[in-house]
Amino acid sequence: MANLFEHIGMEKERLQFSWISSAEAGKFTNVATEVANTIEALGPIDKFVKKTD
Amino acid sequence: MGLTTRKAIYVEYPQAVPLKYAINPEKCLKLTKDKCGNCEEVCPAKAIDYKQKEERITLNAGAVIFSPGFKPYDPKIFDNYQYSHLPNVVTSMEFERILSASGPSQGHIMTLPKVPAHPTTKKDKLLAERKKDPKKIAWFQCVGSRDMNKCDNKYCSSVCCMYAIKEAVIAKEHAGDDLDCAIFYMDMRTHGKEFERYYNRAKEAGVRFVRTKVHTINPLHDSDDLSLRYVSDTGEIVEEIFDMVVLSVGLQIAPETIELAKNLGIELTSGNFAQTSSFSPVETSRKGIFVSGAFQGPKDIPQAVVDSSAAAAGAGSLLSSVRDTMTKKAESTPETNIVGERPRIGVFVCRCGTNIAGVVDVPAVRDYAANLPFVEYYTDNLYSCSQDSQDTIAKLIKEHNLNRIVVAACTPKTHEPLFQETLMKAGLNKYLFEMTNIRNQDSWVHKNNPELATKKAKDLVRMAVSKVALMEPLKEVELKVNQAAMVIGAGLAGLTAAKNLADQGYEVHVIEKDSKIGGQANNLYHTYKGENIQKQLLEIKSDIANNSKIHLHLNTSVEDVQGFVGNFKSTLLCNGQTSEIEHGVSVIATGGAGLKPSEYCYGQDDRILTSLDLDKMLMADDQNLKAMKSAVFIQCVGSRDSERPYCSRVCCTHSIDNALELKKINPEMDVYVLYRDIRAYGEREYNYQKAREAGVIFIRYSLDNKPKVELKDGKVLVTVIDHVLQMPLEIDADILTLASAIVPNRDEKIANFFKVPLNEDGFFVERHAKLGPSEFATDGVFLCGLAHYPKPIDESIAHGMAASSRAVTLLARETVKTSGNVALANPNKCSSCGVCVSVCPYSAPSFVKEGRFAGKAEINPVLCKGCGLCVASCRSGALHLKGFDTNQIFAQITALVDAA
Amino acid sequence: MAEDKKTKVVSFLCNWCSYGAADLAGVSRMQYPENIRVVRIPCTGRVTPKFILSAFREGADGVWVSG
Repeated sequence: MANLFEHIGMEKERLQFSWISSAEAGKFTNVATEVANTIEALGPIDKFVKKTD
Repeated sequence: MGLTTRKAIYVEYPQAVPLKYAINPEKCLKLTKDKCGNCEEVCPAKAIDYKQKEERITLNAGAVIFSPGFKPYDPKIFDNYQYSHLPNVVTSMEFERILSASGPSQGHIMTLPKVPAHPTTKKDKLLAERKKDPKKIAWFQCVGSRDMNKCDNKYCSSVCCMYAIKEAVIAKEHAGDDLDCAIFYMDMRTHGKEFERYYNRAKEAGVRFVRTKVHTINPLHDSDDLSLRYVSDTGEIVEEIFDMVVLSVGLQIAPETIELAKNLGIELTSGNFAQTSSFSPVETSRKGIFVSGAFQGPKDIPQAVVDSSAAAAGAGSLLSSVRDTMTKKAESTPETNIVGERPRIGVFVCRCGTNIAGVVDVPAVRDYAANLPFVEYYTDNLYSCSQDSQDTIAKLIKEHNLNRIVVAACTPKTHEPLFQETLMKAGLNKYLFEMTNIRNQDSWVHKNNPELATKKAKDLVRMAVSKVALMEPLKEVELKVNQAAMVIGAGLAGLTAAKNLADQGYEVHVIEKDSKIGGQANNLYHTYKGENIQKQLLEIKSDIANNSKIHLHLNTSVEDVQGFVGNFKSTLLCNGQTSEIEHGVSVIATGGAGLKPSEYCYGQDDRILTSLDLDKMLMADDQNLKAMKSAVFIQCVGSRDSERPYCSRVCCTHSIDNALELKKINPEMDVYVLYRDIRAYGEREYNYQKAREAGVIFIRYSLDNKPKVELKDGKVLVTVIDHVLQMPLEIDADILTLASAIVPNRDEKIANFFKVPLNEDGFFVERHAKLGPSEFATDGVFLCGLAHYPKPIDESIAHGMAASSRAVTLLARETVKTSGNVALANPNKCSSCGVCVSVCPYSAPSFVKEGRFAGKAEINPVLCKGCGLCVASCRSGALHLKGFDTNQIFAQITALVDAA
Repeated sequence: MAEDKKTKVVSFLCNWCSYGAADLAGVSRMQYPENIRVVRIPCTGRVTPKFILSAFREGADGVWVSG
């Protein structure tokens, strides 16, 4: 997927993977915040958006 | 707890079942002064009845299970701890509330916890200003346990060491690493499964463990801080200042319980627990009355859960002949056929009191739902999960002819089954339902931003509505449960499980790889209560042999297991011959064994033995023991070290009992026990006291300074650093007993057959460490005995009964339903590539063998766990996951960004 | 954290793992950014590249898959 993203000119950071067990609420919060901040830093997407007429 | 005040109308505690309000008769103005009466007027359900009185109800029962629980010890009488006077001295139960997110300070740790959060009196207001975040907290262990001076509780309460460590670790998590947590203890007793590792982690996290008893707490002048004086391990007097002291209070039986037990004719132990034998650990002295929980003996949650299952098994075997004679069956409503109907969606938005409505604008979300496609009905509820809301939903489904339901509330993980039941009552297939989580994943986590939380709730509702429109009624396959059981391992736990299953009316196959039954119990001499194990074992063996429902397979191994819950087919191998048995449930009781030590010169001299070897000598009444002048026991041989970081639980008590036995044989004998912590938990503590009184010498050693054993001039010489004198002590031992670890029969083959996990140490991993100790996450597979964790005879037997009890809950239902959320193959699209067959972890997909679609994939809905791996891997689009199908997820994705 | 995020993240959470963690985060009243929208899936194995691409096509600015 990361390769495909590069290929079509998208930042590969827009796709994130993680593994969190159901007991790790703290980790969930941290990762969620991190993901949200990463994406926010990249800003709204300007490629690959459905064309609306 | 008294940390906050209780109002006139209250809920007992947040997890109360049923979660209903009650009137506090001490505070209610109507009941105390016959004024007010407001609640009666405002209650729309007319639930208020001031005239309710205590009623006496007579029930006829064939068996009684008595679980009255314990009462935390009240530390007021310890004048040196001044619990009543000092505001920063709290009990562990109070501290538990302070740590709780639903506690008086929402989990924020503050000094002066007994001062109300919203002080009203002048005194409290002044105190409240002095509240601060503590920097140092001390825990005192054994308050009201192992104590004959200040109180009469000679026993060890078993759980306090572990809970103190837990509180210290959580306190550090809440308050940050700078918080200094110190636990003052006598022996650290972390003898439960995974507890030793937790203890080690706590040490690494910086929790301090100080082995001493603090004798006095002195309040510092002009502050609420506390000065502690204690003698350190090296004998110096230390004075240290703490902000808070937590008293780790023990478990004790309430006077009312003692009174009731006496009225019931139940004999008690000296610690006021119910008298039971090791071989029938949940039977009281009065036939037909069973006991479980802390009244059986001080214990932690998993052990209490084991007990309660065991008590149910005991009652179940007494009553098996009348099973289901008085059961009321829930009526089922015939299912309405909705196939082909246009979706008519009902949306229910839950306020969850203020949990959701306090943040999310619930009416706005509700009205928003009105404009979503196919929504026919929408409303909000105060508590959607309450019984009256359930009835309303069922009524509304019928009235408005709804055929799809969305509930926006808490988490489907806990509440989906409840709503699905309501759907079924209203005649709707339970899969025509979608729940969306606007509490746990919205209002609770975005409480500072109501506007965005409301927007998110709308999005979530929109997603759910678009998904539910595509939901189809799903079928659950009903399967017959084979009414036989297989027990693997004929040790005491396995035999107990088999015996109980047979007593409850089921055929049992017991598989044993050895040529005899009884397992490790064959090697043991006495229980800690002094019962002769061999005598009891003979009785158990003859019971088993004479039971026509029990089929023993000796010298047999399990070679293969096919099938699933309710329908297992196992291949057995005995003397080169294979046979097959069918069974509905399996109990794994593969046991463990004593470690053969590789240290302390074991195997180099006949005088160096393991605990089991010594038992053998005692059983044989070996005359050599009489002539011996000195005996040494070394504890923790192969336990609690880097290779096996777990405590073997039984060895301390075992060595103490054998030390006492040796003293009985020859009172002049010098008996030494070299230990790290003595873990004689519960009423086993009495034997530890007896041993000290009998003159057994206990010398502590540490892991980095282990005793040394030498064979010199025909002598066995043991050298240990004496912990009091800090000097090496050399003992010339006539007999050296190594209390070696219990190691599991790490059976990876069995683990693989049933897809059940083993932990790092080789013990099986149960469904839930606290709440599911006798079963596996795999349905229809149960667990007991040493294969779970080292345990003494009484606990093994209780565990065997518990495994049987859990198995019977399945067998008694006679049928099982599989989930409807399974994969389905469309043979017309299938290209027979075989990817699904190879990726499935549960072997659910296979190729159709014959007929029109031969060679195409098909899914066995019984084996399918609904993970969707095959669906994602299918390149032909031939596979569908019912309930999470591709078009449904696409609908959610589309809806998600739609109206943003 | 109170500022309005301009972006939107679609997350696919495994019912047994991360979804449970998300529930627990709620129980513990932990706070995290609100621009995350959750699609509950039975297992991360269920996620195909198609889902991820379609999320982007529908205008998501990021996708988070968590098992």
